[in-house]
Amino acid sequence: MAAASPTIRRTLMRMIFLSSGAVLALTIASFCTYELVNFRQSSVQQLRTLSRAIATNSTAALAFDNPADAATVLAAFRAEPHIVAAALYDAGGRLFATYPRGLPAASFPSHPGPMGYAFGHSRLTGFQPVVEDSQRLGTLFVQSDLEAMYARLRLYALIAALVIAASLPLAYLISRRLQQRLVQPILALADTARAVSDRHDYTVRAGRTGIAEFDLFTGTFNQMLTQVQQSDGKLQAQLARLGLLQHITRATGERQDLASIFQVVLGSLEENLPVDFGGFLLYDPVAPSLSISTLGVAGGFAAKLGLTEGLIVPIDPNGLSRCVAGQLVYEPDVQQVPFAFPQRLAGAGLRSVVIAPLIVENQVFGVLVCARARADAFSSGECEFLRQLSEHVALASHQVRLYGALQQAYNDLRQSQHTVMQQERLRALGQMASGIAHDINNAISPVSLYTESLLEREPGLSERARGYLVTIQRAIEDVARTVARMREFYREREAQMTLERVDLNRAILQVVDLTRPRWSDLPQQRGVMVDLRTELAASLPDVMGAEHEIRDALTNLIFNAVDAMPGGGTLVMRTRVVREREDAEDVVVEVCDSGIGMDEDTRRRCLEPFYTTKGERGTGLGLAMVYGMVQRHSAELQIDSAQGQGTTVRLTFPAYTASAVASARVARQPVTNRRLRILLVDDDPLLIKSLQDTLQEDGHQITATHGGQAGIDAFIAARQRGEGIDVVITDLGMPHVDGRKVASAVKQASPTTPVILLTGWGQRMIAANDTPAHVDKVLSKPPRLHELRAALAELTESAELVS
Amino acid sequence: MHRGKQKNGAVRMRRLRLRALPRAALLLCAALLAALHMSAAAAAPTEYQVKAVFLYNFSRFVDWPAGSFSAPNEPFVIGVLGADPFGERLDEAVRGEQVDQHPLIVRRFSDVAQIGDCRILFIDSSEDARLGQILAALDHHSVLTVSDVDGASERGVMIQLATQDNRVRLRINVASARAAGLTISSNLLRLAQIVRSADGS
Repeated sequence: MAAASPTIRRTLMRMIFLSSGAVLALTIASFCTYELVNFRQSSVQQLRTLSRAIATNSTAALAFDNPADAATVLAAFRAEPHIVAAALYDAGGRLFATYPRGLPAASFPSHPGPMGYAFGHSRLTGFQPVVEDSQRLGTLFVQSDLEAMYARLRLYALIAALVIAASLPLAYLISRRLQQRLVQPILALADTARAVSDRHDYTVRAGRTGIAEFDLFTGTFNQMLTQVQQSDGKLQAQLARLGLLQHITRATGERQDLASIFQVVLGSLEENLPVDFGGFLLYDPVAPSLSISTLGVAGGFAAKLGLTEGLIVPIDPNGLSRCVAGQLVYEPDVQQVPFAFPQRLAGAGLRSVVIAPLIVENQVFGVLVCARARADAFSSGECEFLRQLSEHVALASHQVRLYGALQQAYNDLRQSQHTVMQQERLRALGQMASGIAHDINNAISPVSLYTESLLEREPGLSERARGYLVTIQRAIEDVARTVARMREFYREREAQMTLERVDLNRAILQVVDLTRPRWSDLPQQRGVMVDLRTELAASLPDVMGAEHEIRDALTNLIFNAVDAMPGGGTLVMRTRVVREREDAEDVVVEVCDSGIGMDEDTRRRCLEPFYTTKGERGTGLGLAMVYGMVQRHSAELQIDSAQGQGTTVRLTFPAYTASAVASARVARQPVTNRRLRILLVDDDPLLIKSLQDTLQEDGHQITATHGGQAGIDAFIAARQRGEGIDVVITDLGMPHVDGRKVASAVKQASPTTPVILLTGWGQRMIAANDTPAHVDKVLSKPPRLHELRAALAELTESAELVS
Repeated sequence: MHRGKQKNGAVRMRRLRLRALPRAALLLCAALLAALHMSAAAAAPTEYQVKAVFLYNFSRFVDWPAGSFSAPNEPFVIGVLGADPFGERLDEAVRGEQVDQHPLIVRRFSDVAQIGDCRILFIDSSEDARLGQILAALDHHSVLTVSDVDGASERGVMIQLATQDNRVRLRINVASARAAGLTISSNLLRLAQIVRSADGS
């Protein structure tokens, strides 16, 4: 209790003292007043009685004029000591006799005053008529002092003081007892209140005090405590639910797929709310129906209900339909609801059910079902909680969808970025490769021409020399193809891929032969043994394709297989024929290794360009090129692999049928017998020399010029001499005046003269189908003799036809 | 009371006179009259004035036997036997007075046989010689006998008015009064000198 505020004790004591003092004072005052009035009246009465007696006795003295006798009569006042003066007046009002004797006449009124008695200055004064037989004989004057009254007043004051002195301690004792009785319950109540506020224990109750008002107060207090306890309970429940909501929200935030979000929500609900049964159903607005997505596991209710994930639940007209319309539905007792789904729940022993809609962007996409075995088991707070929870879940699943879409977009974007980067890189590589290819083609042209010429025209060649020349010729062809392949890095698709019949068994054997150093020699140096076996089907049909592409693809597959077996193993190259379609056969090539295999992620991504598991050693292009080849050949690629189980790559080609490529077979055209005048234009002396030599050996007359302008001049000069030129063979890429200008000038001078363009980019031109104007034929470098002959024959014959 | 009425009568007379006077002389005349009246009142009353009042006062202090009045309004007679020493004074003293509704009247007698139902009889000194006869004649009559003859009370007169030091004193023969059936108030007796008859009765 603060010292500043008065305590109840003090207030109570003050009140009791004040009230008892006031009562006491009032009592004493009224008593004194009463006594005073009474005393005055009795004094007057007494004095009047005395005066009457004296007056009666003094009648004769007055009537017979005997003052001495009158004085004697007055002397009777001696018996009353308070009578201080008395006098008799005769009928004429004259002073007749006085008492006490010796008092001067001036002490008395000169005339009698009005009859009666009056209190004056500490005196009671009275005038009493003296009458005998109704005859007025005179007047008696009496004066009494008030000493008696004062004495009595003093006595009263003493009594009052004694009463007060006695009653104050009594009042103190009574007030102590009273305050004990009053303050004790208040202090007890204060203790209770303090206990409540200190310990937050709302179960304590204030006891009965036995005082009606306090009991009313404690009753109200206890009632308040009960309310606080209830509120506190509600608050705690609310807090618990909030905590649960937060827990679930956090848990769902960590999940990225709908199923695991549903699972974690159901798990939390079953464990913490708790509910006896919970489940998520997804809504199909088209059917419309609900399909069970995820079911809670607690209590085995799912089994009792006969519900399984994926089961279709028809929408009842009552509860479920209201829920899919966006309302939260609470059925306090499903036994009373005559619809299929509630009855199904009731049949499993569930009574109260809450169905909350999952709403995203105003669309219900599912419902949350929570049930308890007790009827009326869900409070309004829990319903509200479930409604909020369903909103959170809906939001989370919406985010999952958004996240998926974002991930997809991100993947697409990364894919695009990779593609763009790859294309940019390939473009740069291609440009470089084109330059290199051009130079190499130019450089090997003489080798090719002379080798072919030698093989054709030197009958005296020893067998060994011929063998060497054949090898050289094949090597040159390989070089030319290699150079051509370099351009495939940046080529998206070969528009005019030259298809030919390919014997896959032969191609496999060639590749196995070519790659021997890689699968046999290098591993053996490390002491590792790779056992390469071929299981080739007999009488395998040909397939249509570009043999070098197929060989490259097989080479890449063998390299990958060897790399996958760093500790050695078995590599099987297998071919077989399958007939899965009615009208066609397929040729299957399998490359099987017993290596480390691929995990799922690697298997999924292995076809991506630049994806490599080989670190710095790999370019990430091997399988990408294989895939490109497969697509260009309308084939199929299948990869079977598992970690540690080895890898099988399966290529399925459609088998060749005669109708498919009738035109593919090219008839070898006869070499023309005519001797032609040929103008040769090039800036490479070696090429000019080799072409000149080989064509002259065919009997043609060659005019070789160095450079474009020289060629044009020579052509015009020859025409002016009237010699005429039958065919112009010009290089495309030359300084200052290139092949196109030469062709243009030739056609300007002689439109019928055929122009053959030789180009290191020849294959690309053919591919792009952009034969320049004024050019009749484009041949790629290195020029092959038979191609040249064929072209010359074709052009001169057509020229002859024209001319 | 009697005196008061007298006084009122005097005031009434003065007023009548004053009304006749001019208003200017009113205060002066009033003052003069008041002075005269005061000096007249202050002057000592004559002996018989006092005795007249005493005679009248005896009617208050003496009780006559019951049934002595025959009628309620029968007058209370104060008689004077012999020569009348009072003159008008006695008449003035009793005028308008009553004793128990009996009007007081004064009668004068020359012979004791005339007195009838007189209640108080003053026997003048002129009858001194015949006092014995008179008292004898009054025997068995309820008459209060009063006289101012010296030694009258010793001779059987009930109340003797004796003058002493210029004051009128009373001498009462209680035995005579009791013999006549009269009761004298003790108040009165206290004032008086009680006298016994000379013959010892």
